[in-house]
Amino acid sequence: MHRVDKNRPTQEWIEHLRRRFPVEKEIDRILTRKMTRRAGPGYSSVSLDTLTAGVELLLKAKLSGPFEVRNPRWMSGGASKVQMAFDLTWSQSGNDKTTTTMVLRMEPAESIVETSRLREFQLIKAFEGVIPVPPVYWVDNAAEFLPYPAMICGFCDGVARPTKGVDGISGIGTNFGPVARPSLGKQFLEHLATIHTRDWKNADLSAFDIPEDGTEAVEWQLNWWERAWEEDVNEDVPLMRLAMAWMRANMPPVDRLSIVHGDYRTGNFLYTEDEIRISAILDWELGHFGDRHEDLAWAIRAAFGHLAEDGKTFLVGGFMPETQFMDMYQSLSGMTVEKKKLDFYKIFNAYKNIQIVLATGYRVARGSKGHQDVLLGWLLGISYPYLDDMRVMLEDLL
Amino acid sequence: MDLRPALQIQTVIKAMTDVVLPAVDTNNKLAQEQARLVIGMLNLVAQRQPMMYRYDRDELARFLALAETLREQAKNLPGVNEALHAMGNSVAVGEDVLDRARAEPKELESANFDLREKVGALITAIYSGSEIGKLKHISATVTAHAKEMLLRERSWLIDQGWEADPKSLPAIETLIDN
Repeated sequence: MHRVDKNRPTQEWIEHLRRRFPVEKEIDRILTRKMTRRAGPGYSSVSLDTLTAGVELLLKAKLSGPFEVRNPRWMSGGASKVQMAFDLTWSQSGNDKTTTTMVLRMEPAESIVETSRLREFQLIKAFEGVIPVPPVYWVDNAAEFLPYPAMICGFCDGVARPTKGVDGISGIGTNFGPVARPSLGKQFLEHLATIHTRDWKNADLSAFDIPEDGTEAVEWQLNWWERAWEEDVNEDVPLMRLAMAWMRANMPPVDRLSIVHGDYRTGNFLYTEDEIRISAILDWELGHFGDRHEDLAWAIRAAFGHLAEDGKTFLVGGFMPETQFMDMYQSLSGMTVEKKKLDFYKIFNAYKNIQIVLATGYRVARGSKGHQDVLLGWLLGISYPYLDDMRVMLEDLL
Repeated sequence: MDLRPALQIQTVIKAMTDVVLPAVDTNNKLAQEQARLVIGMLNLVAQRQPMMYRYDRDELARFLALAETLREQAKNLPGVNEALHAMGNSVAVGEDVLDRARAEPKELESANFDLREKVGALITAIYSGSEIGKLKHISATVTAHAKEMLLRERSWLIDQGWEADPKSLPAIETLIDN
């Protein structure tokens, strides 16, 4: 059907896309790896025993003392990665024997978001002790020990949403309730401001390239996601072509280079319900150097908020009205928020999101490459409301 | 529309085979048998669904041929006029339908696919070669087309539950009459 058979891409076509869409070295590596392996086998269901054996091999290589892996169990959620929890009995840094609950995050044969475990590992490590993040321990970036690239981090206490729902509220999104809302909102913004103002110079972020001042960071992002679109999409979508053309014509220069989380939103942090304290910022796999407005535009997306008890006031992220949200961010970060840049990143985030669920989601499920293909097939349907949201935004900007 | 039966069935079979069936209680023989039947039935649907249209068209052609032969053979027999007349009406309808049922569904899908690709490439070429501010009329054409298409696609998938206000969408039957 395709002139290019995307299920069996030729080396020539892979190289053509690499030349057409220059990206960071590590991103190029993982996208190229995806394409060169595409014609290979789909994802075979991996048993807990197989994963446990892989974890033990990894730990043998990394730990000098004795250890024991017990109680492996599947974790729910995670459309993009296979997740297994287990208890590790070990002597950390020569201390007394202790038991730590760990989480293995492993890629399937192809993921709905193709990312680098090494980048995720390094980024979380860079924020250890700075903001609440899961402790990360080991990474198997080349699948030397496990069936696919993986990393092991500590299990974090906390919940992503209240265990007891709050009644009588209209709107969508997680509702933290009026008591927890102010505190969580403030912490959410404090941590975001810390991420964006963090001095990364002394951190080991060798899997990241540092863009030049100006629009290079933006261009790398556009190249990443347009390349992924070209690699994965089945039916072309004219609106996506128009959106990319608009973005390329309107790239805003980055006034201050920040670490961008890439998926900073309600649902991607854990908090303790008794203390109302954010205990872990999760899902760093899309992190990169770029413009703070990208995270801000994503965090305020309507789908993550809801109406307050008055039925009129929209609370972004389920926290507070947008004006208050932006004022607090500016106060905490000391950096400005520009509407024009927010508008740009709203389109960018929409494009990226549609690329993921429509193009890559289709391709993974089509090739039986994922561990939850039926979920990816189901999620594909949400791309059409997303496309329509992007159309409405674009019509205002064109 | 990328969410087509072929993909849907494939992913359901995989989920049933890899995740659900291994988790079904081995002592529950009825559940084990039903789970395997579900997989078997879905495999049969996956194999045959792409040929269903051709199968029906072939069937209609064969019945039209049978009807024609029987009409010739039965025309002078007693007590058949009413039945022959009724059959003749149905033959006329059937011949008309068969005449219009020329392209395979796959050909239709393929033509859509190819045109999407060419239109997409043209849009990229247009915006690569000209300033976007001078192409407002073309941008308006693209977004207007997207609006119509997305209305169909959202209505088609309305039962998935993604829409904040599902009642605002027209029924799919009213949107696909071209």
